[in-house]
Amino acid sequence: MEYIVRTENLSKHFGQEKAVSGLEMKIPKGEIYGFLGPNGAGKTTTIRMLLGLMKPTSGRIEIFQNDLKKERLNILKRVGSLVESPSYYPHLTAKENLEAMRKIVGMPKQRINEVLEIVRLTAAGDKKVKGFSLGMKQRLGIAASLLNNPELLILDEPTNGLDPSGIIEIRNLIKSLPSECGMTVLISSHLLSEIDQMATTVGIVTKGKMIFQDSIEAMRMFAQQSVLLKVSESDKAWRALLGRGMKAGLDNGIISLPQQSDENVAEAVRGLVEDGFSVYRVEEEKRSLEDIFLQMTREEQAG
Amino acid sequence: MMGKLLSAEFMKIKRKGIWFLTVLGPIGVVAMQMVNYGVRKEYLFRQNDDRWGYYLDNIHSFTPLAIVLGIVILTSFMSSIENETNAWKQLMALPVSKMGVYLSKFTVLSVLLLISSVLLLLFTLAFGISLDLGGEIPYAGLLKYSFYPFFAALPVLALQLWAAAVSVNQGVPITLGILGVILTYAGYALPDWLIWKWPLLMNDWEEPLINVLLGGGAGLILYAAGMIDFVRRDVK
Ligand SMILES: Nc1ncnc2c1ncn2[C@@H]1O[C@H](COP(=O)(O)OP(=O)(O)O)[C@@H](O)[C@H]1O
Ligand SMILES: [Mg+2]
Repeated sequence: MEYIVRTENLSKHFGQEKAVSGLEMKIPKGEIYGFLGPNGAGKTTTIRMLLGLMKPTSGRIEIFQNDLKKERLNILKRVGSLVESPSYYPHLTAKENLEAMRKIVGMPKQRINEVLEIVRLTAAGDKKVKGFSLGMKQRLGIAASLLNNPELLILDEPTNGLDPSGIIEIRNLIKSLPSECGMTVLISSHLLSEIDQMATTVGIVTKGKMIFQDSIEAMRMFAQQSVLLKVSESDKAWRALLGRGMKAGLDNGIISLPQQSDENVAEAVRGLVEDGFSVYRVEEEKRSLEDIFLQMTREEQAG
Repeated sequence: MMGKLLSAEFMKIKRKGIWFLTVLGPIGVVAMQMVNYGVRKEYLFRQNDDRWGYYLDNIHSFTPLAIVLGIVILTSFMSSIENETNAWKQLMALPVSKMGVYLSKFTVLSVLLLISSVLLLLFTLAFGISLDLGGEIPYAGLLKYSFYPFFAALPVLALQLWAAAVSVNQGVPITLGILGVILTYAGYALPDWLIWKWPLLMNDWEEPLINVLLGGGAGLILYAAGMIDFVRRDVK
């Protein structure tokens, strides 16, 4: 598989603190990679290293299959980014802000109007950024990240501070980028719901370590609901179900039926009753992605 | 790359009061003498037969302070452009080398100070002529008093730029700057090795050119050291 970003054993220590340790990030081409983790997990630190803003304590970074250490400038020409809270020059207008960056990345002047249009800031283009709302500043930051028409877009918590309609707008924009512009996107967030709605691939970090990295479908597999049965003689009952060729699990005396249709559940219950077991309770297990996320991060802390 | 960076830097210093200060500095220095000569012209004319030379000495009594103060304020304004919203990370994530960024900041500051020096020369000349000092106009002296202080002050510029660029807390460069201004103000009484004294163009051999050469040499070393440290560090 062609990876746009690949890190090998990437680590960053601040004194005693291991902000990132042994991170193996793999971002396939054309994906929206959701980089998920609680505050302080090491997302921003990782992103700063990907952009060459911080030197790794150890490990390697490859972007576009080139070593970042050796090819930093050539790589950055093809990368757009927004790191943490948006940076801007408050005494300049939105257009002047973009112009100061455009001079460096060297795109035609027309590109400024294009990116302003993309983030819907055209009307505010000639106003000083000093007076912008946080959401407008955030959108200006996204506009700036798109200036050089990047092949890899790195956005660090881009919807922070946006109102709900702004979040939806940005989300739709980000979702359209891979298909329309052939971009690969890395987007970090501490909110699972956000990643869930945008990402095609997910990497979960906590305490500087990657604890899960796979497609969003693989992640959703964890979230599928199962039906739990509380019965008499659970051990025997479980075996009886398996004997009838049904998929079932047993945990703490509770039988679980993963991802079953209504008919299958009915059949399982009927079978158990026919075999003489008492069925005390039939309930659905509600495991949201949020629960799984919490469980994953908790397991990591315990282990 | 330098051309692009410089044109971006000049764009960013708009509306920051930086151009205003660049012009205000030399006006201030000459205005002091306008007051001085306005109040007691006859008395000052009697002090020395070389009236032009005496006039230039008077002008120069305020130039070192103005240039060191100017350096402190300009570097602080200049670095505030990036420090204010921590735009360093945005700037350095562009395809630019850290050395290039540092050099562009230093170049813009040097250009501004040189413009101040040119203006100082013009204002000094214009007011000198209007005073009707008599005799030949000492162009050599005029050039010396206008440009030597800039070169002699390069180490201070290199030091302030480094302090402003790497300090997370901008109190550090400001404190260093205030200290520097005081040292320049009290320069007459201080030992020659202090870089803040150099713009005074005083030394044991009474040869101002020594301060220029020292300033250029030490300025280059301090600049290189500052840049290396800036490049080595993680971006703020
Ligand atoms: N420049 C720094 N110096 C010291 N510690 C830092 C620095 N930057 C980040 N950290 C620490 O590294 C950890 C990870 O931070 P960060 O990468 O910002 O997390 P996230 O972006 O996931 O919220 C935190 O504990 C933070 O305090
Ligand atoms: Mg962060």
